[in-house]
Amino acid sequence: MKNLDRLVENSARSLAKRTSRRSLLASLGQILTGAALLPLLPIDRTARAQEPARPSAAEQKCEYWKYCAIDGFLCACCGGTSTSCPPGTQSSPITWIGTCHNPADGRDYIVSYNDCCGKVSCGDCFCDRNEGEKPMYRLSRNNDVNWCMANSESNYHCSVSVILGVAEK
Amino acid sequence: MTRAAAALAAAWAGLLASAAAHGGNPAQDYVLNCMGCHGTGAQGIPGKVPPLANALRRFMRTPEGRNYVLRVPGAANSALSDEQLAAVLNWLAATYDTGAVPSQLAPFTRSEVATLRHQPLIAVLATRKAVVNALAATGPSPPSQY
Repeated sequence: MKNLDRLVENSARSLAKRTSRRSLLASLGQILTGAALLPLLPIDRTARAQEPARPSAAEQKCEYWKYCAIDGFLCACCGGTSTSCPPGTQSSPITWIGTCHNPADGRDYIVSYNDCCGKVSCGDCFCDRNEGEKPMYRLSRNNDVNWCMANSESNYHCSVSVILGVAEK
Repeated sequence: MTRAAAALAAAWAGLLASAAAHGGNPAQDYVLNCMGCHGTGAQGIPGKVPPLANALRRFMRTPEGRNYVLRVPGAANSALSDEQLAAVLNWLAATYDTGAVPSQLAPFTRSEVATLRHQPLIAVLATRKAVVNALAATGPSPPSQY
């Protein structure tokens, strides 16, 4: 037992000679600093939040089935998609409504064509199909209207097409 | 429920059922012909498009209000037939404004629509203001401003 006491005492004295309380604080400081720096390592924090909209190739073609009654620039070519406005624009609260036949399932769908407003005209992918439109003498069935007129910024930029549901015959 | 109220309730149910039986679909007719401007809940656009929710049924309380509704350009010039227009208006009244107005209210009929929609309404805003003021003096009324 005496030998064990001496061994522990010698070890403690040896440790005390080689180290100090300051060195302990320094070590702890290094650990804390390292822990603080860890989150700053070069990790991709943007994830997918900042990625631009990626519309499909079909959405960028005027022949796409749900564009049957559209009249304007396709938002899928203007930084948005066929259902979302490009950044910096606002969707119009009033809309042109059409009915389009989907050849994939043989059903007719009611589609809302909302304009995206607040920036100058996009200018890409102009698409003027307007199936079901009537001349101006039937105003409620004419699509030559700036649907951005109810927005605070009434500049027209492009048009999206949102499916509302299946049309019953 | 009084006998008169029961008769009116039956008239409403009969008209809505008749619209469905004849292939009419007032909800879809609203979406295709009216919703683009009046909105998904018939709420209108402040400062631009008048609301139908909490408004249409109140107009229906008086002959002057009914006259205004059937002659206002958006209704009178719509692509809907007389029967379809009556069905859409009755569907809207039954769907979006049921609280404030007593149930003793006659639905629109095809003949009523046919008689009134072909008489052009020139002074729309002035007529609306006069009708709304008269309604406000006697009970629930549509908003004077929108």
